[in-house]
This record gives sequence, C-alpha cells and structure tokens, in this order.
Amino acid sequence: MLMLILVNLAGCAQKEKVEDVLRVAYTTDPQGLDPHRTAAVATFNITGSIYDTLLAVTPDWEIEPRLAESYTISPDGMEITFNLRKGVKFHNGREMKAQDVKFSFERLKGEDSPKAGDYKNIDGIEVLDDYTIKFTTTNLDVELVKAFTYPWTAIVPAEAADTLQTDPVGTGAYKFVQWIPQQQVKLTRNDEYFGEKAKIKDLEFILIPDATSQLAALQVGDIHITEITGNQVKTLSENPDLKVYTEPMNAVQILALNQENKALADVRVRQAIAKAIDKDAIIETVVWGYGDKIGAHLPVNYPDYIDTNHVMPYDPEGAKKLLAEAGYADGLNLELILPKSYQIHVDTGQIIADQLSKVGINTDIKIIEWGQWLSDVYSGKQYEMTVVALSGRLDSYYFLKRYHSESKDFISIPSGDIDELLEQSLKETDAAKRQEIFHQIQMILAERVPVVYIQTPHKTFGLAKNVEGFRIYPIDIYEYQNVYFAK
Amino acid sequence: MLSYIYKRTSNAVQVLLFVSIITFAVLQWIPGDAAQLILGSEATPENLARLRTALGLDRPWYIQYWHWLKGLVQFDLGRSYVFGQDVVTLIQQRLPVTISIAVFSMLIASTIAIVLGILAAIRKNTMVDYLATGIMQLGSAVPAFWLGMLMIVYFGLELKWFPVSGYVPPDRGLGGYLNSIAMPSIVLAIGEVGMLLRTVRTSMLEALGQDFMDMAKAKGLSSFTIYFKYALRSAMIAPINVMGLQFAKLVGGTVVVESVFGLPGVGRLILVAVEQRDVFLLQGLVMFVTALVILISLLVDIAVMFINPRIRIEMQGE
Repeated sequence: MLMLILVNLAGCAQKEKVEDVLRVAYTTDPQGLDPHRTAAVATFNITGSIYDTLLAVTPDWEIEPRLAESYTISPDGMEITFNLRKGVKFHNGREMKAQDVKFSFERLKGEDSPKAGDYKNIDGIEVLDDYTIKFTTTNLDVELVKAFTYPWTAIVPAEAADTLQTDPVGTGAYKFVQWIPQQQVKLTRNDEYFGEKAKIKDLEFILIPDATSQLAALQVGDIHITEITGNQVKTLSENPDLKVYTEPMNAVQILALNQENKALADVRVRQAIAKAIDKDAIIETVVWGYGDKIGAHLPVNYPDYIDTNHVMPYDPEGAKKLLAEAGYADGLNLELILPKSYQIHVDTGQIIADQLSKVGINTDIKIIEWGQWLSDVYSGKQYEMTVVALSGRLDSYYFLKRYHSESKDFISIPSGDIDELLEQSLKETDAAKRQEIFHQIQMILAERVPVVYIQTPHKTFGLAKNVEGFRIYPIDIYEYQNVYFAK
Repeated sequence: MLSYIYKRTSNAVQVLLFVSIITFAVLQWIPGDAAQLILGSEATPENLARLRTALGLDRPWYIQYWHWLKGLVQFDLGRSYVFGQDVVTLIQQRLPVTISIAVFSMLIASTIAIVLGILAAIRKNTMVDYLATGIMQLGSAVPAFWLGMLMIVYFGLELKWFPVSGYVPPDRGLGGYLNSIAMPSIVLAIGEVGMLLRTVRTSMLEALGQDFMDMAKAKGLSSFTIYFKYALRSAMIAPINVMGLQFAKLVGGTVVVESVFGLPGVGRLILVAVEQRDVFLLQGLVMFVTALVILISLLVDIAVMFINPRIRIEMQGE
C-alpha cells in the first residue's frame, strides 16, 4: 500500500485536462494506414480523417461532393466524368490534380490491392485536364457513382505512396502525426483544409483492447468516445457525465444454412427453422434490445428496405408441422458452427440451439476460432449451420450478389432463385424500377429462406456529455472534423 | 567457464532453429491464412487468390521458411503483414513495456517473498507463518483479470490515483511512467508471490535443519549472521531458479494483464500475430522470446554457480 501511495505521489503532476484534444478508444490496431493495401475496417476508421474521396456519403445515405465538385454520367451510363475542386492541397503542400486521381485509382486496381476486384469494371481512366477526369466501364453499372465514396478510393500523392503504410499523406481534415502500434494514433488539424476545418485541434485514437477498461477510461474522462455493448448501456446512462448514442449498423446477422445438406436443401425444413426462432428473444437477451428484427437480407435503414417480418413469423407449432411434412417428424440433427471471436454470434447461436430443440431439431454446437471459420466455413463451405454478420455497402446489389448461384459464396442459392432479378437490377437505369426489383428479391428471400435473417445489430457509443456532432455512417468512416465540445 | 558458455550457446542455436521450424509448420497446418484474415467476410475467391500471390502465400511453406531463414542470418526478421512495419521495430516498441512490468513485479514479489519466507521459516507455526501461508494461497487463487478490474475500479475510478489504462514511456516523465505500470506490476506480483514465497520458506526450513546450522549456533554466532550469512545463502538456490522461470514467463508477455490495463506489450502482440496468422511477426516474436528465455536461464545458472561452491567445483571438474 505504501508503495502505491509513493508511486502515486510521483505521478500527480501528470494530470491535466485539455479540451483541445478529442480522444477516441479503439480495440484493434489498423492494418497499416495505406487505404489501397488493406480491407480492414480498423484502418478505414482512422484513415477516413486523413484522406478524402471524390464523393462522400452523409449519415442519411445521401451522396455529396468532396474532392470532386460535380460529376456527369454519359447517356449510356458507361462513362462518368468528375470536375475536381481547385486549390486542394495534400498535407505535403502540393496541389491535388487529376493526375493524382488517376494514379490513386490505378494503385487501387494494382497487384497487391485487396479491393482491386471490385473495380475491374473500370477499364479506362483518362485525364482530360488538370481538374477533369473521366472513368469508362466495360459493363453498365447503374450504381457506379457510389463506388467513389468508399474510404479505399482515397486520393493519395504519388511521391508519398511507398510509405503510406506508416506515414500517410492525404488531403483530409486531419494530418498524421504519429502511430505507435498497439498504443495510439495521433492526428492534428489540417489548417489548409479546403472544407470546413476541424473543430477540435488534436485527434487521438487510444488502443484499449478490453471493453470494461474502455468504459472505465470513459468514466474517468481519459477518453471521450468509445463503442460499447448493450449490457454497458445501463452503467453508462446512470452516469450524469456521459451519454449514449446508438444507430442500426449497415449489417445483417444471419443463421446461414448450407443447402448442400440434404435436409437443408428442403425449403420446408428451412422455413421450419425460421419459424422456430424467436428473434425478439435473441435481440432482448444478446444485444439488450439494441437490434432490429429483419425478415430478409437488407438492414432496416437501407433505402431499398421493406419489412418482411410477417412472412415467416415465430410459430413453433407451424415449424413442427413443416418438419413433419418434410419427413422429419422424429427429429433432425444439425451441426451449428460459431465463430469464437464474436461473442454476439456465439450467444445468438446458443439461444437458437435451445429454440430449435423445442421443435425437435437437435444441434451440435462447435465453437471455432475466426481464422478457422474463414477457412472452413466461409471459403471451404464445410458447414451445416453458422451464425455470422455480413456488412453492406451503399448499393443493394453488392449486398445481395452473394446469393447468385454462381457466386461461389458460402450462402449462394444453388437453384438460382434470384439470379435473373440480380442481373436485371444491374442494368435497370430507372431508380424506381430498380427499387421494385430489390423489393421483389427481399420477398423471395423471406419466403424461400436461403438463410434465416435475425437482426440488424446496432452500433452503440458511449460519449462524454459535452461531445456533439458525432455521427455513425453507413460505410466504415467517422467524420471527426464535425465533432466539437459543447460549452 | 568459457567452454561452458560456448556449449550453452551452441545448444541455444539448435533450440532456436527447432522452435522456428515448429512455429512455421504449425502456422501452415492450422486453418486460415493471412490473406483470408485481411479480407474477412468480404472475400471473393478471386480477391483471395490475388492477395495470396501478392503476399507470397501461394509458395510452398519450405520455400517461405527458407526465405525467412536467409533473412534471419542477416538479422532481418521480415515485415509484419498486419502492421506493414519491420518485425524488429514492432518488438522494440513493445519491449520496454513488458520488461518494465516484468522487472517491477519481480521486485515486488521477491521482496515480499524473501522477507516473509524467511520470517515464516524462522517463526514456524506462528502468526507470521500463517500470514505467509495465507498470502501464498490467496496469490495463487485470485485470477489476474478479476484483481485487475477490481484495482481499476477502486484505485483508478474511485480514488483516481492511477490511470485506468495505457502506458507512459519514462521519457515523458518518471512519475507518469511509474504510475502507468504500478497497477499491472502489482497484479502480476500477487500472481507470482505465492509460488516464490513457498519456495523460500521450504528451502529456508531445509537449510535451518542442516548440520552446519548447529555448528554455527554452537560457535555462538549472532542469529543475524546465522540466518542471513549461512542459512539464506544455502537456501537461495531454489528461489533463484524459480525467480528465473517466473521472470522468463513474464518477459514472454502476459496477455490478460496487458489487455485489462491496455498495455502495448509483447503478450498482446503475440496474440495478434496468432489471430491474424501474421507468420513473420509470430516467427520473430517466438525467436525473440525463446532467445530471451535461454539467456535468462543461462544467467540464473551462472548466478547459482557463484552462490553455491559445490556447483562451481563440479563445473571446474568437467
């Protein structure tokens, strides 16, 4: 005890509270800070503040100009031309021009770029002048414009490209200062920023791997923003210095069913499983109510979303009847694989196993590590049932294309139920008609149950009381330049 | 002495080689690779194949191993897939944290263990002895994560004596540095003290029962000289060995304590390397920790040699 006191006295001078720094907790280190060389959300959460993209998306899913002031799409939809903002400076002082945009996209399409495959449809990038650039596509993609908002389409200067991994240079509202892996990332305001300048001078990301320690750090005021879990909301809301902010994520949690299994190939069995699962109970117990029940593969805040919860309502008696019709009146045994690293899926899986047992389906639960899940289940398709969440982009096609019979995805539908609709959606230039196609697809998915749709989980943050302007975006970015401390 | 050190060093090289092959092979056998983990549940077969080629994961494992070994000879441990930085740099960043809490926790644990252990042995079956036994059992029984959380809540949240998480390097102020490693060091010390205390007490009891103790008493030496010059010296061999093992374990990283206190130490880095299948990073860390453990055990052996004349004579007789 004496030692505790002595050590503490020595450290007292350290404590100071400066409101010119915004501190955000994070759990996983970025996989480097080069936006073209990773697929890690942890990277984009940070690089979103350092780099800019041609277009941006608002928390309400609206597309707005960013590095590009405007754009025009050719009548046949095969070309898109961007007019760039003038006078935008990279953090190294050089002006950003069309040549940099060309360089960045070619780099994104390069050999060791994990996202290259998503941009293979772009076959021509032509610099028309310093501030005008034209992209040409091989096939018509009516959602092409959205492809220019994602954080991996960041515009970078060629001269800094080789060291972006550890020394990022962009045009963003914050400039890079320092990254100490597994400790912190420091950024500072870019005073030359072309848009509205960041309201808080310094931005620090602090690594705290443990969720309880994160909450403790928030409570003592060491950090201002941290993601929290449903069960922490109560502790947090009892504290007058803190507040909670929550919104549905752009993701769906599913119980995937492998139709290569004989029983699961039968639509009646899949419908029975869907009817046996009480989604409300899962949401209440696993995420403490911070989730929205879904009936098809689109999150509730998606512009194309329709409510299909009524199609396969919770009905254990109906489930038993369907199982009997399918020839499984005496019961059925299925294996349920759960990814250990994700407590939410493990908990959900255990409740599902219990609910299924009540209609005569016995589940054999196997909990495996994430790396093994990716290799065996996701790539190898060696599973019967599994619980996982899949995250989305801005267009429904991207979200739903996994179901195409030729996608080789772990949840592709072998019978090709929605193949034709998916292909139509890509070519339909009329927005209303395209939306109609996605409504149809959702209805088919709800009825044919290729997988059981559970919920759109929420992202929930704990914030210091005086933090304002923090929002959740549909893609993996946060715009910290808009955050400020209320007086 | 020199031939002894030479022999130990060549043994060490063999151990390192063996360990490196095992690590490499195990990473090949367990399912999942770096490319898969980088792409996660957004991977398409096409993207996966491209990334594997780019990272060199499509080459047979022995070729990958050979390349790694060639680098190692030139003291190049390669680059981490996850962090995009040199493995050596990453280890250098973590090392001060891990060494700090290892040293401090061993200082705390050995001070308590030696003082209480000697007292417990001298005053066997008295209150001091019961207190020591109590500490032994409590120290081993209390889980580190629970104790860590408890300390965070009380000393961090309630009393605000210590920061609840994070590490402050010594060049940013000695006070802040000591403050940031105090709680984790104490938690680790409590975990280690039981074992060490038990060893000190047993060896001391054994030493006190030796014939030469009666001789010393008969000669009329002061009890201080008896206990500290004769008994303690002969009783320290086992505790020094235990301390060496404990220190080696702590230097290898302490994942739970590092996670609870948000410390960027070696333990968490190993965890990340395994979870993300970061072959080079894990390989480098395993090499480094193995080398350190070998070094510590060599130092312990040398220390014991100087304390115990009998072992010294055996060595010379070789």
